[in-house]
Amino acid sequence: MYAADNEAEGRVSVRYGLLALLDEAPSHGYQLKTAFERRTGGNWALNIGQVYTTIQRLERDGLVESVDIEPAGDDRREYRITPAGRAQLSSWFDNPVVPEAPARDELTIKVLLAVAAGDIDVTALLQRQRRASIEQLQAYTQRKAKADPKRDVAFLILLDALIFRTEAEIRWLDASDARIRSLSERAPAQHPSKETA
Amino acid sequence: MTTLVQLEGAARRFGSGHTEVTALHPTSLSVEAGELLAVMGPSGSGKTTLLSLVGGLDKPTEGRVVVAGQDVGSLKPRDLAILRRRTVGYVFQDLNLLAGLTARENVAIPLELDGRPLGEARSLANAALDSVGLASLGDRFPDDLSGGEQQRVAIARALVGGRQILLADEPTGALDSITGESVMRLLRAHCDGGGTAILVTHDAAHAAWADRVVFLRDGRLVDEARPASNPDLSTTAA
Repeated sequence: MYAADNEAEGRVSVRYGLLALLDEAPSHGYQLKTAFERRTGGNWALNIGQVYTTIQRLERDGLVESVDIEPAGDDRREYRITPAGRAQLSSWFDNPVVPEAPARDELTIKVLLAVAAGDIDVTALLQRQRRASIEQLQAYTQRKAKADPKRDVAFLILLDALIFRTEAEIRWLDASDARIRSLSERAPAQHPSKETA
Repeated sequence: MTTLVQLEGAARRFGSGHTEVTALHPTSLSVEAGELLAVMGPSGSGKTTLLSLVGGLDKPTEGRVVVAGQDVGSLKPRDLAILRRRTVGYVFQDLNLLAGLTARENVAIPLELDGRPLGEARSLANAALDSVGLASLGDRFPDDLSGGEQQRVAIARALVGGRQILLADEPTGALDSITGESVMRLLRAHCDGGGTAILVTHDAAHAAWADRVVFLRDGRLVDEARPASNPDLSTTAA
């Protein structure tokens, strides 16, 4: 859904996710992978390669260190957080997440281009998208209805994030629809881009 | 499957000739027992008209509306009133409850109008309050209940005595999202228990509790949505 900006954000989340886990107890790479997945509602898959790449970067930056004195293979090394790592983690939790630039997502661009093109049925385009988004929302809601409000808190919080993002998208579709509609009601022109009167 | 609500080319027009306004063009739609249907669309698209036709608050000017096997358009006023008291319950966004009556008395109203003995009405009202999780608040007056509790009392009243068809017009409109969700869980439970509900809403997150979402536009059904079979939850961490 938000593919364009997800990659960098994802890397940051994994980095702090692993730091947070190491802040609780020293761990091996594989333990970190499973704990991270459990914490994030069981639906945020990490591959083990990602875990090791992230740990190597954290180690390079002095935020974690290997517990073992003897060199061992990646899968047997245990890591712990350093004081510098703890300081950086605490500052991350203390500061809000502010997006650096608005997301450049495919849907926004598609709608803008369709409006500008003038010969595309924007109303139909918006409705196709609305239906797809509602169907996604229905699927999320089915999962939510089955979840246990006490046991599955992390999963429910994750689902809420997906649900509210999808809902925001639908509200934006409705608002775009209403804007286009109000233009065509005021003037006979079918498309805003051709409306010159 | 049992069809509880059926529209067969049902339309509602007001006025005639040059001043004719069509609130609902000929529409066909059926809703089965166990189904929760959500109706979405911009203001003025015909959502409330559709609900009024199903609830017997209005009659179609063309076509038929069949509710629990009865053709609403041809019912005598007395039979229509019986249909509303025994089969169909209504929940609105607000102004649902009478302030001078307790929660239990509010819930018992449709039964008393239907001539049921007081004792029976009272015990059915208690059962309905219990089903919405308010068994202990029957003696409270509406003003002493939160917005979410008041709406649950309204749902209890709409369902009391085993009414199968629940019609809800923006029932979550005045509630915050978590309280609104508890109302949707009740609607869902009613349908999972074999009843039917038709929900009119602007709120996509609440419409998403439905088995089917239909979209109205300028008095016409233009589209419908059913749950995606493969919910994409596997957000990868890049």
